[in-house]
Amino acid sequence: MPLTTMDSLTLSHFLLTGAVLFCLGLIGFITRRNLIIMFLCTEMMFQGVAVSLVAFSRYHLNDTGQTFVIFVLTIAAAEAALALGLVVLLFRRKRTLDALAWSQLQG
Amino acid sequence: MSIELIKLIPWIPLLGAALCGVCCMKPAWRKAAGPISALSIFIPFLITCGVYSAASGLTGAEKVQTVYSWIGVGGFQVNMGYFVDRLTMVMLFVVTGIGSLIATYAMGYMKGERGYARFFMGVSLFIFAMTTLVMADNLVLLYLGWEGVGLCSYLLIGYYYEKPEAVAAAKKAFIVNRIGDLGFALGIFLTYKTYGSVSLAEVTTEAAKRLTEGFDPTAADLWIPFLLMLGAFGKSAQIPLYVWLPDAMAGPTPVSALVHAATMVTAGVYMIARLIPVFQLSPAALPTVATIGGVTALLSGTIALCQYDLKKVFAYSTVSQLGYMFLGVGALSTFGGVFHLFTHAFFKALLFLTAGSVMHALAGQLDLRAMSGLRHKMPVTCWLMFVGCLALAGFPLTAGFFSKDTILAAAMTQGTGPHGSTLFLFLALMGLFTAFLTAFYTFRLWFRVFMGPEHFEMGDEHHGDDHGDAHGHGHDDHGHSGGHAHEPHEMPWWPMNAPLAALAIGAVLAGLVFGGWMERSIEGSTAKPVAVAHVESHAAAAPAYQIITVENAAEGHGTEAGAEHAAADSHDDEHHREHTIHIVMMFVSSIIALVGIALAAYFHWLNRPLTDKIATKFAAVVEVLYNKYYVDEFYDMVIVKPLRGFGHLFYLFDQFIINGLVMTVGHIPRLAGWVVRPTQSGKMQGYGLGMVLGVAVVALLVFRWAF
Amino acid sequence: MEQYLEYALYIGSVLGALALAVMLPRQSGGIRFLGPMLGAATLGGLWLFLSNGGLWADRDPGMSSASFIYYYLFSAIAIVSAVRVITHTRPVYAALWFVMVVLASAGLFLVLSAQFMAFAVVIIYGGAILVTYMFVLMLASQSTPDGGSSQGYDKVAKEPVLACAAGFLLLAVLLSVIFDYHRLDAARAQVDPAMTDAALIESTLGNRPLQAVKTYEYNDAGEAVEVAGVTQPNNLDPTRLANAERVGLDLFLSHPLGLELAGVILLVSLIGAIVIAKTKVPDEHLAVSG
Repeated sequence: MPLTTMDSLTLSHFLLTGAVLFCLGLIGFITRRNLIIMFLCTEMMFQGVAVSLVAFSRYHLNDTGQTFVIFVLTIAAAEAALALGLVVLLFRRKRTLDALAWSQLQG
Repeated sequence: MSIELIKLIPWIPLLGAALCGVCCMKPAWRKAAGPISALSIFIPFLITCGVYSAASGLTGAEKVQTVYSWIGVGGFQVNMGYFVDRLTMVMLFVVTGIGSLIATYAMGYMKGERGYARFFMGVSLFIFAMTTLVMADNLVLLYLGWEGVGLCSYLLIGYYYEKPEAVAAAKKAFIVNRIGDLGFALGIFLTYKTYGSVSLAEVTTEAAKRLTEGFDPTAADLWIPFLLMLGAFGKSAQIPLYVWLPDAMAGPTPVSALVHAATMVTAGVYMIARLIPVFQLSPAALPTVATIGGVTALLSGTIALCQYDLKKVFAYSTVSQLGYMFLGVGALSTFGGVFHLFTHAFFKALLFLTAGSVMHALAGQLDLRAMSGLRHKMPVTCWLMFVGCLALAGFPLTAGFFSKDTILAAAMTQGTGPHGSTLFLFLALMGLFTAFLTAFYTFRLWFRVFMGPEHFEMGDEHHGDDHGDAHGHGHDDHGHSGGHAHEPHEMPWWPMNAPLAALAIGAVLAGLVFGGWMERSIEGSTAKPVAVAHVESHAAAAPAYQIITVENAAEGHGTEAGAEHAAADSHDDEHHREHTIHIVMMFVSSIIALVGIALAAYFHWLNRPLTDKIATKFAAVVEVLYNKYYVDEFYDMVIVKPLRGFGHLFYLFDQFIINGLVMTVGHIPRLAGWVVRPTQSGKMQGYGLGMVLGVAVVALLVFRWAF
Repeated sequence: MEQYLEYALYIGSVLGALALAVMLPRQSGGIRFLGPMLGAATLGGLWLFLSNGGLWADRDPGMSSASFIYYYLFSAIAIVSAVRVITHTRPVYAALWFVMVVLASAGLFLVLSAQFMAFAVVIIYGGAILVTYMFVLMLASQSTPDGGSSQGYDKVAKEPVLACAAGFLLLAVLLSVIFDYHRLDAARAQVDPAMTDAALIESTLGNRPLQAVKTYEYNDAGEAVEVAGVTQPNNLDPTRLANAERVGLDLFLSHPLGLELAGVILLVSLIGAIVIAKTKVPDEHLAVSG
């Protein structure tokens, strides 16, 4: 099987999509100030990684890539539960979701 | 009684001190501290009495009673060992005997004071250190006791630590003693280096051997006595280190009596007497000791003339009497020095304690001008102090008379005759004049306090006093300070006046009864023809002039036998001459004492207005004497101020140079922090951005450039 | 064309960064309309280049043109939706756009014949997690004074230029690695063909279970007794298994420890979430305003 082909598509195509999703999530994390959106952006980064993992799995015919996505989903679920709990806690304290409201660690 | 028991002597007071410390813990136990302490001093006294006959029979190596090996480093061996000879026994009698009397007195005197148990802990600890000092068989252990008594002195002077002057006096005593102790320590080091041992027996034997065999004095031989002397001057309050003793009167009166009159301050005399062969190795050493002693005696005698503080008078008197002792040992009369030490302990303790009684009765009043004619109020104290004054003044047949006479005769013997030195003649005359001053200022005080019209002003200080109602208000200072009439009263017999009576008996009889015994104990005065080779290693070595005599004779006759013969001859003459001097001095000093007393009676009892007139006329002299020749001010200007200036300079150095360096080192991270601080915005996005950039750069490096 | 690929990717990264920087919400929205145009142009250009660049001139004649089309479709949807997630000023809409991202990536999973993962992400992400997010968003928005529609603090992007530069720098690096065929080919050439992952998986997964499976039955005494001579049919041939079956086998056979750990993590986060939810905190907002 030639390296550069995978059916009609190459591995690189999917990796491209995954990388774009990952970087967009990253930029979103940096530019947004709403705590919930920031966490949403991290989920988007997970999505990018998941796309890459499934693409690898398909390319290598190795199901472990997909198994990893299951783990990613697990972690994402746990993270969502805890992070959103913390966000609610922070919100209750200051009545705002602005991430800049929590910058007491300023040097 | 077994001689072994003597090893227990220092440890019993130490145990007592520990028990007193335990007593400090609970208020209910505190009352037990006094009896415990007195007992812990009295039991060693009984032991001393019990083992006396056994101890005085010891010879040679038996004298060293080793308890255990204290320090052993290579060839350097120091034992916790006791050197027991008759000088030690005399010192033990003084320390434990007088100590237990004073402790008994203090049980009454200190009643109701705050820190009652603390006081007795200090006293017991002091006795431990003092007995260690006088019993030590080596210089290091002696130094331990030496420092121990210094520490206890510091603690006891600073007993009233709420009072600034007491704290200052304690610090002054400690620091001035440090100067002396530095010399002493250096002396010990040099001794070890020179003799290869710190054992008293070995050092004195070696020194005596050098003396008899003739020797070429090395620099160390010449220096050791002067270094040791410095320690003695510090501890025994001699010029130039005497300034701490008068201030030390800020402590409780029993402390003044015990530590600063009877025992600790005599340690210097004891040390020189113990090491006299070492001092003889340096020709200038003993004359220096005698000169310093004589000058100190005279100067402090004159200062005592114009002091108004009861205890200050006695303090300067103590300095003066210590000067006598140094004059005695300096004149090679170790017997005279130690004898005076012995008698002085009795009468000076008595004087201090009666002064304490007066002070107690007048609620802390110490000013001579504020009291007069107290003999009806306090008859017992009055006559007890009278006895003490007689002894101090050297009234014929009292204790002080014999001992002072011995010293003066010794000095005069040195000062006259074919080999007499002008120095000693001069010192003897000075001593005689000092004896006159002593009689005068002593009785000035007594007449002022107890004779004349009755008049007194109460002090403002309360010792929680009052034996009748001490239980009522304990140490409540306000109990009777509200100005209501508080008459001076006599002290109770037990536990205060009884010990005083015992001391008074000693003050009268110590000279007469114990003189002969003392003379034998100290193994002869300078007059005895003790061949130097046979000298016991402890107190009395052969006097230097004997050596000189032998050498002179040898020069004259040219043969050994002739030398011996001539020495014997010249010694007979010497003995005869000294006997004459002794008799003459007795009469002269009796007359001087009586004249002094009579003048004091006239000026301070019968015709006080005339005294006041004279004092006004010579106001300048009185002022100088009252201000103690401005020595404190002089020291302050010459030593304290420059030292303080140096200290300030070092402080500035430390502050700017050292601290500056340290602070600079500390500021570097701070500066670095200041530079990078803006990056720590505390905002998540900022950190995220940094992370992304970092990952991008690392990825770039790894994937693009590293391959 | 292949030699220009690298430059095309870099140019695409730069243009994409510009487009995104323009699109991100800012104080003065004058040139914001340029963003989508530039972005669409960049993406379109890149797609055209990739599909017509002759990179797969040697591609399999029997290729599925359908998957080819689906890839570009879902990819475009995912990327556009992702851009909308991070550029939309209203959080609820951003969350909804994220659903689109999830759906599009599920489509991509289908193209990659990972059917189980496609449904899993739709159910877990698009369903459970996103609902939770929406729930919290609604909760928070409701109690803000202005109704949550115009949360002032999130109107303007923070450091858009710097963020875009950093993000697309990272993207450029990743892409340059992804499309570096020379290096990958060289690396692959050094590896024994028999030792490829696929070959390894075929050999291990294809053989392992058969030897392990035994058949038991209970005897009269209730004891399990092995039934001799009975073998399982060879129905575990990976090529004949459904996607979900294969993922399940891999999960339980190769990653039992990871599975246990995942379970523990879920349990811990469950307890943690309960504890956090019950924690009482002082309301500084009220304290300040009151």
